Amino acid sequence: MAKRYLILEDGSAYAGEGFGAGATTSGEVISNLNLLGYQETITDQIYHNQIIIFAQPAIGNVGINHDSYESILPTAKGMVVRDVTNISTNRLSRLSLDEFLQQHNIPGISGIDTRHLIRKLRKMDGPVKGSIVDVADAHAFDQLNATVLTNRQVDQVATPKPYPNPDTGKNVVVIDFGLKHGILRQLSERRCNVTVLPWTASAQDVLNLDPDGVLLSTGPGSPLDLGEGVLEMIRAVQAEIPLFAIGLGHELFALANGAKLEALPVEYHGSSHPIRRIITNDIIYATQGQGYAVSAKTIDRDRLITTYVDLINGTVQGLRHRDYPAFSVQFFADGAPGPHESRDLFDEFMEAMTARREG
Amino acid sequence: MQNLDDLQKVLIIGSGPTEIGHETELDSATVQIITGFKKHGVRTLVIDNNPFSVALEEIQPTNMYVQAVTTANVRHIIERDQPDAILPTLGGLLGIRIAQELVENGDIGRFGVTILGMPAATLRQINNPAALNDTLKEIHEPVIEAQVVSTEDEALGLVESIGFPLIVKPVAPRLDTNRTICENVDDMLDALNQGFAQSRFDQCTLERSVVGYKEIEMVAIRDVADTKVMITGLENIDTVGIHSGDSIVVTPPQTLNDREYQDLRDATFRIATELGIVGVIHIHFALNPDNQHFYVTKIAPYFTRGVALAARTTGYPLALVTGALLIGQRLVDIKLPSRFVKQTAIMEPTIDHVSVRIPIWPFQEVPDADQHLDTVMKAVGSTVGVGRSVEEAMLKSVRSSQFSPRDVLPSVSNLTDGEMISQLIHPLANRILVLIEALRRGYTPDELSELTKIDVFYFVKLQHLLKIEKQIKGNPLDVETLKMGRYYGFGDGMIARIWQTDTATIRRLSAEAEIKPTYKMIEPTAGEFDEHASGYYSTFEYENESEPLGDRTALVLGRGGNQLGPNTAAEYFTTEMLKQLKRAGYHTILMNTNPNAIGIAPEFTDKQYVDPIQLGDVLNVINVEHPDIVIVPGNRHYLTRELGKLDLNLHVLPPDQESSKAQPKTATISVSLFVHEQHKIAVGVMDMIAPGMNQDIAQVTAFRMPAERAKADRLKLVEQAKEAVSEHQLTGMVQVLFAPKSKDSQQLTVVGIRPTRLTEMAFLSKVTGVNWVRMLTRQHIGTLDEKELAAIKIDLNSKRVALMNAVFPFQQLHVLNRPGTTDQEMGATIAFGSSEALTLSNLSDTEQLDKIINRTI
Repeated sequence: MAKRYLILEDGSAYAGEGFGAGATTSGEVISNLNLLGYQETITDQIYHNQIIIFAQPAIGNVGINHDSYESILPTAKGMVVRDVTNISTNRLSRLSLDEFLQQHNIPGISGIDTRHLIRKLRKMDGPVKGSIVDVADAHAFDQLNATVLTNRQVDQVATPKPYPNPDTGKNVVVIDFGLKHGILRQLSERRCNVTVLPWTASAQDVLNLDPDGVLLSTGPGSPLDLGEGVLEMIRAVQAEIPLFAIGLGHELFALANGAKLEALPVEYHGSSHPIRRIITNDIIYATQGQGYAVSAKTIDRDRLITTYVDLINGTVQGLRHRDYPAFSVQFFADGAPGPHESRDLFDEFMEAMTARREG
Repeated sequence: MQNLDDLQKVLIIGSGPTEIGHETELDSATVQIITGFKKHGVRTLVIDNNPFSVALEEIQPTNMYVQAVTTANVRHIIERDQPDAILPTLGGLLGIRIAQELVENGDIGRFGVTILGMPAATLRQINNPAALNDTLKEIHEPVIEAQVVSTEDEALGLVESIGFPLIVKPVAPRLDTNRTICENVDDMLDALNQGFAQSRFDQCTLERSVVGYKEIEMVAIRDVADTKVMITGLENIDTVGIHSGDSIVVTPPQTLNDREYQDLRDATFRIATELGIVGVIHIHFALNPDNQHFYVTKIAPYFTRGVALAARTTGYPLALVTGALLIGQRLVDIKLPSRFVKQTAIMEPTIDHVSVRIPIWPFQEVPDADQHLDTVMKAVGSTVGVGRSVEEAMLKSVRSSQFSPRDVLPSVSNLTDGEMISQLIHPLANRILVLIEALRRGYTPDELSELTKIDVFYFVKLQHLLKIEKQIKGNPLDVETLKMGRYYGFGDGMIARIWQTDTATIRRLSAEAEIKPTYKMIEPTAGEFDEHASGYYSTFEYENESEPLGDRTALVLGRGGNQLGPNTAAEYFTTEMLKQLKRAGYHTILMNTNPNAIGIAPEFTDKQYVDPIQLGDVLNVINVEHPDIVIVPGNRHYLTRELGKLDLNLHVLPPDQESSKAQPKTATISVSLFVHEQHKIAVGVMDMIAPGMNQDIAQVTAFRMPAERAKADRLKLVEQAKEAVSEHQLTGMVQVLFAPKSKDSQQLTVVGIRPTRLTEMAFLSKVTGVNWVRMLTRQHIGTLDEKELAAIKIDLNSKRVALMNAVFPFQQLHVLNRPGTTDQEMGATIAFGSSEALTLSNLSDTEQLDKIINRTI
């Protein structure tokens, strides 16, 4: 395989071997500490325009499988791994990680000291830009430094048009900010009749469908870039119907209710932090993927209650509205990849919808 | 006693001698837990009769019960010493069984003793698979339907509904490992016959066979508040049908997708909660790779080799944390030593390396054992390889397990095609070499996966290694190729052999091209935090994390994976030596590949390198650490010779047995002396007992001290021994061997002198109360105090008699029980008592020996 380089904006270059697409790409470099689930990770739209460093050194071992997509068209900018295996183990032995990345024009680079990079990123301030290139020369660094990372991530990955995911149960409207399929799977398991709406939908668009509940999905980028319209929609909807928000949706829910966000020194993507469920005092684990967190001291206690907290970095991981059946979590309650113990939040959402109908 | 805050005294049920199924990992965990208990003000009592136990060195003699680990003996201790609680989970399955018997016979209730680790109901279920299955079914965990039968007729009636292959298992077996796969009715009747005999209830279970499924093990912990942490999963490369102890194991699992892994994690947590486990739990699953369905196949809520591997490879302080959980602490409250980032106890480990464990089998020492790997465990030890790719970890582990002095892999190219196919289907101990050979002969990964049921991924990886080997062959002395070879785990010795040169050339090339190892920390956060863990492994990457320890460092080379022979004793020796070095102010560094080693625990060493103990790898560590002292075990002649050529302060410890002066054919009595300059301290006069018909020196595997002789005789022997030693100018721990002058003569004469064997050194330490391993270490590092030596008083005529008897793996290997040789020792048992209690009427009677040693006290 061809020799390629990962270069970072601090001027460092790491030689490795290319796999996947031969494209030259740039993006924000972040690290993912999950033990398994590279396919779920690379297809999750929260990684839009990002280059992902995998802590787990052996990647590609099980190929690409039909039930591990978190979106169909991945838009990450690259994979950085220590060791990649070109193998397909799905039912038809058809698709390897290498082929999949080629099809989606995503480059990968292997043979990299990923542990070193993860340790190094931890000490660097703010987002770090990087590129996967053929030649690590001055030109490549010039190009990298000239790259402006877009703040239109949600626009790029969210559906522009409504579409249904029919079933026979509760009517749920999902607002798509870069929807992770795990959310649809959880709703399907609970027989929800889902309509996915673009993130630009107004409160009126939502209410017109007369849903039992509304779910604000995960998505990439900063919620601050999305404007006031979406916050207004949330405020109008939460007053009317049960609302459940995850990831970016949670951050928007917090903003809509007066809280502020703070950027984390280093993005955290992993599932090893204990998270305390405050009401029961028990501890769960869940996949987290966040560059921002709700600032605890800005929470208006008359409106919001903190329901979950990360015991390692102290970040707010869940909120609930005092007056409405509306709640949110920062972590990915559907797992995929990662632990399952927060999936009962979907049951809670179902109960909230049932209670509202009965009430 | 329900409130754990009031806990003051805990009795730990020890594991007894090393056997197939458990080795030093239980001792290692025990030591760490005792240390933890002490910090919390809990006094620990221990019952164990393993003379090589390091745990017994860690506690006061008044807290130590050197007795056979039996229900009756445990009961007596409870009665006499009134502990608040007993801890059965460090004694393996035996501990669980004893605890259950104490519940059943009412002792636990009568004496108001708490059982730590699990409720009484769980103890019962762990001992009874049918009851356990019922519980699992209640919580909807998939189990293989096991039907209990008491007669052959009942079994025959069930055959149709279960179908072949099926598995026969005795109910509440006396041994840990008996399950038999049966392909037909004849097989089944044979297995039932054996099984009924082994069952405590004369019953067996029949169940569907899941042979060919993936075997995945999950290790987790749980606290009293029901918080659970998954430590890691272990993937057996060999499928169900080969005992997990005989399987190559990889961690973290490599061929599971996230959903499969999370499903098993969920099941593990549900089971831990349902069974009320506090502490560690280790569950085996059989996973159907075609449809992701799984079955629970074994639940072990106690310390096991899987738990040891999980701790070693994640860097998570498992024993330390479990100790705190057992006395009622919650995971969120646990405070760890400063080398850990705060809250490490409650973070789920995530790791950025791959570990491969390969078993070591005893077939060289016991050639008449059936060497096929099946559902009955036969391995006596294992080695682990850690790397940043599956290739690297695998090759490192193979290099350590297929031990060769010069780091060259043995070849199985002489197998005929027929033999090879037969061994692919019915694997033998050379399993991994045969898999590689099959690829070499042109079988494709898919074909081999079909044939062996091993996931195709592993064949792709092995094939990659062959491709690299080919490249090495094709590019002699090319530095880029050398770099790549090292990157994927090839040893300097291997590459030297391929290039038909020597290790020195390889090292010169590497130095010139600056191909240096980068050491990575084994820590549980995959680089998220700045942990200060002390375990490292090598790889060849960008960043090296291992800083030299600095002044006054001692590098100790371990013995690698456990084998038959004096290895458990060697483990004891190495640990005690490390403790002494530390006490003498050395920073200690241990290199070892045995995941069950005691000394590899951070409690005993400042730094550990988990890398093959081969010349190239040792030199790499020396280049980083520049140790003031290097200590090589006596059985490593090539390594000692090569290191001897360098400017190193080299010591050989444990001593080399081959430095004996005249190895006699037989000996009946020995005198052990500690010789230092002009001092010759008589340590003990022992009977050398060779149970069985002949008195061959290799069969001297039992010892009695003091020897059954008149006092004057003993003193006379000591004088003779001192003379003999003076003649040969020996130092250290020396053993002078005596035998009768002739067949009919009563008169003893000196027949040989040798360094005291490791087993006997441990025995002498336990009996005299002086730690001779430490004395020997001090002699080597020059910290022995003359005055102190002169003050040592040893009563050679003690009224208290001690017996030690070797334990052999014959029963577990299903070979004829017989007098074994020192090369076949697995472990040993020790007993103390009055001269009357320990009198042997017939020295050749092994049963009498066993009975005396295992008697109720």
